[in-house]
Amino acid sequence: MNSETLYQFSTLTVVLLLLAFYGGTYLMTLGIRKKNEDADAFMVSNHRVGFGIGAASMTATWIWAASFYAAATSGYTYGVSGPIHYGLWGALMILFIYPFGRRFRKLAPNAHTLGELIHARHGSSSQLILALSNVLGSVISLMVNFTAAGALVSVLSPLSFQAGVIIAGVGVLLYTLWSGFRASVLTDFAQLVALMAIAVVIIPAVFFAMGGPSELVAGLSNLTAEQANFFSSEAILKQGAPFFVAVLAYAIGNQTISQRLFAVNEDHIKPTFLTATLGYGAIVIGLGMIGLMALTLGIQPLNGDMNNLIPQMVSGYLPPVFIALFFILVIGSLSSTADSDLSALSAIMMADVYGKNIARGKADPKRMLLVGRLTMIIATAAGIVFASFSLDILVMLVFVGALWGAIVFPVIASCFWSRVTNQAFTVSVLVAMVLFCVARFELIDLAGPGGLFFELLASIGGGVIIGLMVFGFLGRTAGFIAAALALIAMLVFATGFLRDYTVLLASLTAYGTSALVCVVMSLTSREEFDFDTIRERVGDYDDTPAEEPVATPGNTPVAAGLASQR
Amino acid sequence: MTTLLAFYVLIWPALTLGVLVVICRAVMRDRRQAREENRELV
Repeated sequence: MNSETLYQFSTLTVVLLLLAFYGGTYLMTLGIRKKNEDADAFMVSNHRVGFGIGAASMTATWIWAASFYAAATSGYTYGVSGPIHYGLWGALMILFIYPFGRRFRKLAPNAHTLGELIHARHGSSSQLILALSNVLGSVISLMVNFTAAGALVSVLSPLSFQAGVIIAGVGVLLYTLWSGFRASVLTDFAQLVALMAIAVVIIPAVFFAMGGPSELVAGLSNLTAEQANFFSSEAILKQGAPFFVAVLAYAIGNQTISQRLFAVNEDHIKPTFLTATLGYGAIVIGLGMIGLMALTLGIQPLNGDMNNLIPQMVSGYLPPVFIALFFILVIGSLSSTADSDLSALSAIMMADVYGKNIARGKADPKRMLLVGRLTMIIATAAGIVFASFSLDILVMLVFVGALWGAIVFPVIASCFWSRVTNQAFTVSVLVAMVLFCVARFELIDLAGPGGLFFELLASIGGGVIIGLMVFGFLGRTAGFIAAALALIAMLVFATGFLRDYTVLLASLTAYGTSALVCVVMSLTSREEFDFDTIRERVGDYDDTPAEEPVATPGNTPVAAGLASQR
Repeated sequence: MTTLLAFYVLIWPALTLGVLVVICRAVMRDRRQAREENRELV
């Protein structure tokens, strides 16, 4: 089966599908809408979101449109182990933030963003570095999701790419604008139920329609030795390892995760994160299997675009109703992530920028809500414009990834070690960024001593990553031992070798440099920070009593009392 | 090999279904609890 074109819906069908999806989602949010929204609830609900809604929201947020396409691409490129090397590490990003998340929540139970915690711990410069990394990440995510909507609409219907981008942008903004995070988590649940139900049906449907297990076994002869090997070193080095390095960085650098962390009932953090890990892994690896099926069948991606693999398989083997379900699956996944990004961006601008740096302890909740909603409108417009112009975001992605890697150690250390200072945090991140650029863009010759220097830093970075992961689950002693063992292993195996893989070398350099500088500067400081003061410094902004929900939109919020922000 | 590969492909939708059931039951419990405590779900 090598279909030249994909199944085409009529314009009316696609418009009706989108109308049903966004209209239904909008109607759902009317049930929780309040005439006067609470600024804190707009950012993190009531800090008591239950396990079910929390796990659903976490899973739906972490699954974006690219998850399916990239997992299928991984299955198609690396064979049997490909989907695992995409989905497993993505799932572990949720799992590995959980032990640190519990600490964040314990230190600042009423926080809205991780930046607020860092502000209380260090001050503005560290907080704004974290906020900047969060903003860049969410804007990129918005753009990617809107782009995915445009691409899907344009390949499955006569509608243009721009039309798809605009409909998705306006649709998401419409249901998120008034109630913010509350609307996001509620709709995440409905979107996830649809997404999971469709995945449960589509994966076996494609599998049996293509011929089932016997056809898959017969097709294994089309695979190379590496593709047929479950323990393929190529898949590990090219797909698994870069993802593994990014596990902690993505989780720390993403406000959508920390926002849910501060919203979920504190007693339910563990089951919420575990369920989301399992849910994400199962859906994404499962859909990645469609890429493996395409590989065994010898299918060539339409126009050489790997993103066409799943639509091609669904279009080629299943009736139109399944293609409609697939359409909803992708729209649901991208919308749930986009609404979370809008909520994350609004919370950062409300709490980190306005609350902490402009109002400086005298935040007006009414004005905060205005800041949040304006942020959503501007972010949506920016996402639509960037997506419409198909801007090349590669350089931006490179810097954001480096920034996230550089802040991992300083953020985590700041929450456990009382001697870390604001200066140590800020300087370590800046030095790490500079050295990252030197390695990534090969500004010096990596063949000689320069290469050895960066391999040493990267080896420290490897030790830091493993050490932090073990520390999160097994404590300080085990963490130090694991870090030392990883460092020794890296020094033995990476020296003279890692310089050939500049992307990996530069990423590990960012981790290693920031950790090294942060530790050295902290050891020279005499600061002994009292962690109990964080709880006192981070509180709610709005002391207005909760109101009953109303079913009519369009009311203007009245002024709430001045913030009780400490 | 056939059975093993079939299991490898189909275990993921089965796990997805399991998680879906767990989440739906939990949300129903959250909803009931919120009503009993006279507060909103989110």
